[in-house]
Amino acid sequence: MMNKREEIIKKLDTIQSIPAIVSKVYKILKNRDELDFKELVRMIEYDPGLTTNILKYANSAFYGFKYKISSLHQALIRIGMDKIFDIVVAAAVGPILKQSVKGYDLPRGKLWEHSIGVAIGSEQLAKELNIQAPNYLFTAGLLIDIGKIVLGSFVDVDAQPIIALAFEKHIPFDVAERRVLGIDHTEVGALLLEKWGIPEEIVMVERWHHQPDRYEGDKLVVDLVHTADTLTMIAGIGGYGTDGLNYRPSPEVSTRLGLTRAINEKVIAEIIGNVEKVYEMLTI
Amino acid sequence: MIKTVDISDMKISNNENDILVTYSLGSCVGLTLYDPIEKIGSLIHCMLPLSKIDKEKAQKNPYMFVDTGLTKMLQEMYDRGAKRKNIIAKLAGGAKLLDKKNIFNVGERNIVIVRKILWKNDILIQGMDVGGSKSRTVRLYMDSGRTTVRNKGEEYDI
Repeated sequence: MMNKREEIIKKLDTIQSIPAIVSKVYKILKNRDELDFKELVRMIEYDPGLTTNILKYANSAFYGFKYKISSLHQALIRIGMDKIFDIVVAAAVGPILKQSVKGYDLPRGKLWEHSIGVAIGSEQLAKELNIQAPNYLFTAGLLIDIGKIVLGSFVDVDAQPIIALAFEKHIPFDVAERRVLGIDHTEVGALLLEKWGIPEEIVMVERWHHQPDRYEGDKLVVDLVHTADTLTMIAGIGGYGTDGLNYRPSPEVSTRLGLTRAINEKVIAEIIGNVEKVYEMLTI
Repeated sequence: MIKTVDISDMKISNNENDILVTYSLGSCVGLTLYDPIEKIGSLIHCMLPLSKIDKEKAQKNPYMFVDTGLTKMLQEMYDRGAKRKNIIAKLAGGAKLLDKKNIFNVGERNIVIVRKILWKNDILIQGMDVGGSKSRTVRLYMDSGRTTVRNKGEEYDI
């Protein structure tokens, strides 16, 4: 008989894939010096759904342009090279992250809202700290809770023991998941992203966002996303599900990044101030 | 009518049929003010304690911060005819994560600033449900001034 952990990992096979174009676009954009713009346009054009979405994004109120554009080429220029990958990923995962989430008890749209908050917060935090962060920071933030989509139905079945550990023994929710289910939403999420062909540096952020001190690679993006998640959580962006506020921010991350109350509060203000605008743009 | 108060928002009412409600209070604070004689009530949902952190945002939306938001809320109550001596204040929210270092404890600071401003205005807090790691929904029933907190499917008076 399979144990719960194996059962959960097996469930990953039933989750829909995202278009292969996502990792192809990432590869093209990574070699910025030899970027073949025409090739990028051709590749995206091959996916009519994605092309339509990118045009919608570029024409959304977010960019504030009066004149409408109708060519993909112009749309990509308007969005800007740094943002194309974010937009391609958002278009691919948006429909999945927008779903209601069983087990975590999140109504439709709430996980998406939280994810957008974390993505914005990660970028704002880097800006506030004067850190030049990698281009995939926004996307890494956007994807952090994707594992909840898969793990939710298992959390639902074993809600009682998980909740008891979290709320009576004050154990962080991800630790409670591991104790009861043998796996937590970060590991499930990382396996899913890997299966989708998402680049490894982003998968690692997903994997370690609740245990940043255990990650052995360059911790910068994990630290930024971990902190942005904390700030989005206390601000209540995306509401609260079963896990509530039951997570433990790492004090080591605060030291590594040199966080202060003032910086944290400024970033919270920026998240609240921008989440609606970005949500509107990305929800087409 | 049910009137929803968003994050960084305030609603005021003098209609007995209204219920003011705000959802998903984490570290944010939800404060209700109610004048039972004039039947005027209000509910605010603020995220951050002090507006000095971002004055531009405070100008655009004073309700994001406790200092500017609560001051404006009190002014609106008085403008509508509420009397300081009648006002009943009830406070909920200010929760925190399992945080040892306290650098993320915005909730506690929010509560301190609420208390300070109300104290200066000679208004007592008569009901309270704050702190811990739970999220809260707050309702103010305009017919009775009853303020309730809801957490995990359970609604109780404060």
